[in-house]
Amino acid sequence: MTAAAIDTLAVAKRYGAKTALHDLTMTVGRGEVFGFLGPNGAGKTTAVKIFLGLVRPTSGACEVLGKPLGDREARRKIGYLPELFRYQSWMTSAEVLDLHGELLGLPRAGRAKTVGDVLELVGLQARANDRVGTYSKGMQQRLGLGVALLGEPDLVFLDEPTSALDPVGRHDVRTIVESLKARGATVFLNSHLLTEVERVCDRVAVVDKGRVVASGSIDEMLGASTSVRLHLGSVNPDALAILRAFGTLEIDAPWFVVGGITDGSVPELVRRLVAAGVEIHAVEPSRTTLEERFLQLLKVPDAAVIDDRIPNPA
Amino acid sequence: MPPLLTIAFLTLREATRRRVLLFLGGASLIAIGLSTWGFVKLDEGSTQPQALIAVESVLVVLLAFAFSVVLAIAAAFLASPAIASEVDSGVALALLPRPFSRAEYVFGKWLGLATLLVAFTFVVGGLEFVAIGIAAGYHPPHPLGALAYLSAEGLALLTLALLASTRLPAIAGGIAAVAAFGASWIAGIVGGIAGALHNDGVQQGATAIGLLFPTDGLWRGAAFELQPVALMLAQEANESMRAQNPFATTAPPAGAFLTWTCCWMLALLAGAAYSFTRRDI
Repeated sequence: MTAAAIDTLAVAKRYGAKTALHDLTMTVGRGEVFGFLGPNGAGKTTAVKIFLGLVRPTSGACEVLGKPLGDREARRKIGYLPELFRYQSWMTSAEVLDLHGELLGLPRAGRAKTVGDVLELVGLQARANDRVGTYSKGMQQRLGLGVALLGEPDLVFLDEPTSALDPVGRHDVRTIVESLKARGATVFLNSHLLTEVERVCDRVAVVDKGRVVASGSIDEMLGASTSVRLHLGSVNPDALAILRAFGTLEIDAPWFVVGGITDGSVPELVRRLVAAGVEIHAVEPSRTTLEERFLQLLKVPDAAVIDDRIPNPA
Repeated sequence: MPPLLTIAFLTLREATRRRVLLFLGGASLIAIGLSTWGFVKLDEGSTQPQALIAVESVLVVLLAFAFSVVLAIAAAFLASPAIASEVDSGVALALLPRPFSRAEYVFGKWLGLATLLVAFTFVVGGLEFVAIGIAAGYHPPHPLGALAYLSAEGLALLTLALLASTRLPAIAGGIAAVAAFGASWIAGIVGGIAGALHNDGVQQGATAIGLLFPTDGLWRGAAFELQPVALMLAQEANESMRAQNPFATTAPPAGAFLTWTCCWMLALLAGAAYSFTRRDI
């Protein structure tokens, strides 16, 4: 049986009196796209650095690709894009990739082609022979992505992979993550862009103050509960009673938001409102977003988030 | 290629690309040109060949000392950012997860810088001796031996600065290494004076500093290799001159001192590997 990509048991990291990571216990399966979410300073990058052998845990046990932390063979199969992505400014991107290929032990004979393929994948082929010091931040992040993908790794850590990228770059990253998943690689994704995470991840864990506060598949995290926004005219007390019968009600006339309603109940709600003589101008079912769930988990005050997919009633 | 050699070549390539070699080479050529011109002028104005040889031999030792200071500063400020700046900038974050050990990274850095420093010492120092020999006709007794001691002095400081680089910011490591060089040199002078005054306590303290930072002992070895026998005999006869002169010596470094220096460098290098292996990045 193939070991999990990442398997941790009560991994902790303390810097003096400050605890960066509390008893992290989790498993990331092979071939999963796993989102690791949390606010700044939550311990996400510390966890990744522990998995990569850059930081030594204070306590706990951890295996990566079925090997102990820092194992050389396991590291040969790992790619990493750091949050702070910096590469030798005096080298060209082709040279940086060739250096990493050499350190990975890729055969010299096919290395130039491999480097060319990776440069094409991350959209840097035209600048392959320019010094990295002349690159924009976004181009350097693309190079970092290329470095992480070199050698077809089994496990890829992407720490805020789109922080410096434009929308086209973000789309490219999503495509790359999907292609990694298609070939069976595991992707461990640290990101603040929750809409991106929601789109590409199979499972997520939310970490706060060094502790995992929730984890599960996207569906498990969001639950079956949805809300529906209705633009209504001529609302009478009977209509309000109907609305309240289906869930919690928030009124921002002429918009009415019924929370806690399931998808299957929306047609019945509409049918009963019409029967009660209410004019219905718009019905917009809305599922709880990962961002809303994330803010709820972190107990952020006034966690009601305006989803940008819903038109502003004003 | 083993990762250690890959890192060593990377270090050499960086020095070449960043024009460190170009700058050091250009500045050295100017210094060689000026010093050779000085020797030619000295030669032209002299009517006493024996006195001229004595003056030229002293000047060569002084030039070698100036060169040793340049080497010391170059070693300190090449090695002190070698690891620290890669950690601070984030370059190390992408490099270190690759399948090689931190010790290989440290040894590779050391090997690359040491190759650069030794090559620079022999090429520039050799050119200086050849230029003086051709232009002024003066040939120091053992130039290769002197260059070997100067290289060893540079390597000692390089190793110290590399150890500092595993934990300290680049500038702090560089200053610490240069301060160690200065402390060792001053301790050599003070030890000589204390010896002349028969002050055992001060002399022992100076010896301890000289062992803690063995660069002055290595410099004395270089000076010994450059001095003509006649000059050494004159110093041998004059105790106070011998004691207070940091540019002269009458005996080569003891075998035990050289063994200690080798062990010292190996210990520092091992310490650098251990220190960096234990560091969180």
